[in-house]
Amino acid sequence: MLELFDQIEEAVAVIRSRWDGTPHAGIILGTGLGSLVEEIEVQESFDYGEIPHFPQSTAISHAGRLLCGTLQGLPVVAMEGRMHMYEGYPLKQITLPVRVMKALGADLLVVSNACGGLNPDYQCGDIMVIDDQINLMGDNPLIGVNDDRLGPRFPDMCEPYDRALVERALEVARQEGITAHKGVYVAVAGPNLETRAEYRFLRTIGADVVGMSTVPEVLVAVHSSMRSVGFSIITDMCLPDELTPADVNEIIAVANEAEPRLRSLVLGVLAAEVSG
Amino acid sequence: MVDGKLIDDAVSLVRRRWTVSPQVGVILGTGLGGLVEDIQVEEDFDFGEIPGFAPATATGHRGRLVCGRLGDSPVVALDGRLHRYEGHDASQITRGVRLLHQLGAGGLIVSNASGGVNPELLPGDLLVMESHINLMFLQAGPRGQGAADDMEWADRPGRWRTSPYYRPWIERAMATASAGGFRATTGTYVAMTGPNYETRAEYRMVRCIGGDVVGMSTVPEVTVASQLGMKVLGLSAVTNVSGPEHQEGASAEAVVEMARSVQPAMRAIVTAIMAGENYPDSSQ
Repeated sequence: MLELFDQIEEAVAVIRSRWDGTPHAGIILGTGLGSLVEEIEVQESFDYGEIPHFPQSTAISHAGRLLCGTLQGLPVVAMEGRMHMYEGYPLKQITLPVRVMKALGADLLVVSNACGGLNPDYQCGDIMVIDDQINLMGDNPLIGVNDDRLGPRFPDMCEPYDRALVERALEVARQEGITAHKGVYVAVAGPNLETRAEYRFLRTIGADVVGMSTVPEVLVAVHSSMRSVGFSIITDMCLPDELTPADVNEIIAVANEAEPRLRSLVLGVLAAEVSG
Repeated sequence: MVDGKLIDDAVSLVRRRWTVSPQVGVILGTGLGGLVEDIQVEEDFDFGEIPGFAPATATGHRGRLVCGRLGDSPVVALDGRLHRYEGHDASQITRGVRLLHQLGAGGLIVSNASGGVNPELLPGDLLVMESHINLMFLQAGPRGQGAADDMEWADRPGRWRTSPYYRPWIERAMATASAGGFRATTGTYVAMTGPNYETRAEYRMVRCIGGDVVGMSTVPEVTVASQLGMKVLGLSAVTNVSGPEHQEGASAEAVVEMARSVQPAMRAIVTAIMAGENYPDSSQ
């Protein structure tokens, strides 16, 4: 893990050679946040291939660029396209961009994902503000000799998502008339969708939604002393007793339909960051 | 066995300096290294000098093999252990158990520090492990990881189905704690990889699936010890209570400090177990 420090510095050096801004927030444009790109005043962009140690993204509906610029006047860096464990990337590589965001100066991570709804009170297309998470990926990006320059050996996880930001996101949702839940995200490795029995299991252990991302990035954000705020779009209800085969196109359609609402929430949360 | 050669080399190294055959092997976990003070040390080896061993990096772990006597009984102890969160694989983590077994130990006493999720537990309690749940996603024995290459399914000890922990030792441990006035209970240990402490949602999960405490070790070692047919006793120092509704931030230092307060109970139990094993002393 000690090699991470040098990798971060090399990645930062390349970005710094073309962009000298200090980002307030790092944003991972997961499923459903792609169009937020249109709101970013891009000053510089990097293909992942140009940045040392950045992985290439292969997943459906994910590009692969790091955008540097401003969003509503707030300096940000944004990842257009993210990497997943099921693509075969080591978690340390998947989460390296978060460490680079931190090294560039960001102290806030904004992350989104598409997920399956386990809580029967939720509806397909709803948004959930992530309150807490369960790691069932079978791996952890912090495994290895700890580099104390990057963070503590045993990060405390009693508040992985910043409580004030969760409340702010819910407040914005109420003002805008958007349905937003607050709940627990469980991450599994995938890439298969879960069986009915697995949905029952995940619901039993206390999860409201299930997905295949986000948890590694947030673990690293906590390790790096960044605040995190996370949003899930429920693209598919996973109620074990009325399950139908999943259709990726349908999932993407639901995500696209939810996108304007999610964008409003993120912009609302960031607006409050600008005003302090 | 893939790493059989490494074990053989490690045994040879120890045997050049210490020829006794110990009855019991001990793994001293977080904050419990002080148990080693009860041992009259005859020889010790840094992990760094033992073939196939890596130096321990974890807080509160020293990283050496101690050979000597506890009371009248010969004993061998791993003072410090290797963890999954340090980046070690299954065969590295469990190699120490194989070494203890090869040196003659027919029993294993293993200790750790854990967070209590059973609301009846208090910081400073001792949990005598009755069972465990493996949520480490790290099998101690798949082919190719060198942990169980020499074992067929049919060889798995039948008692695995009931418990890997040796019932008479559990009972002796509880009786000893009771006689000494120590708070102790039996229960189930859930192992996760860490290194982060668990989220509130994860604590709820651990409780929901039947766990009393959660920690980041022990299960790989116990799995291999059980496979080798060793009697096993697991002692867990409850260093913090991590109930989902009253969680304060956990710190490594506080965990180590609280684990120390459980040492008197652990020492009494280890001494009682050793005294109860009336093996002939093979050094005579």
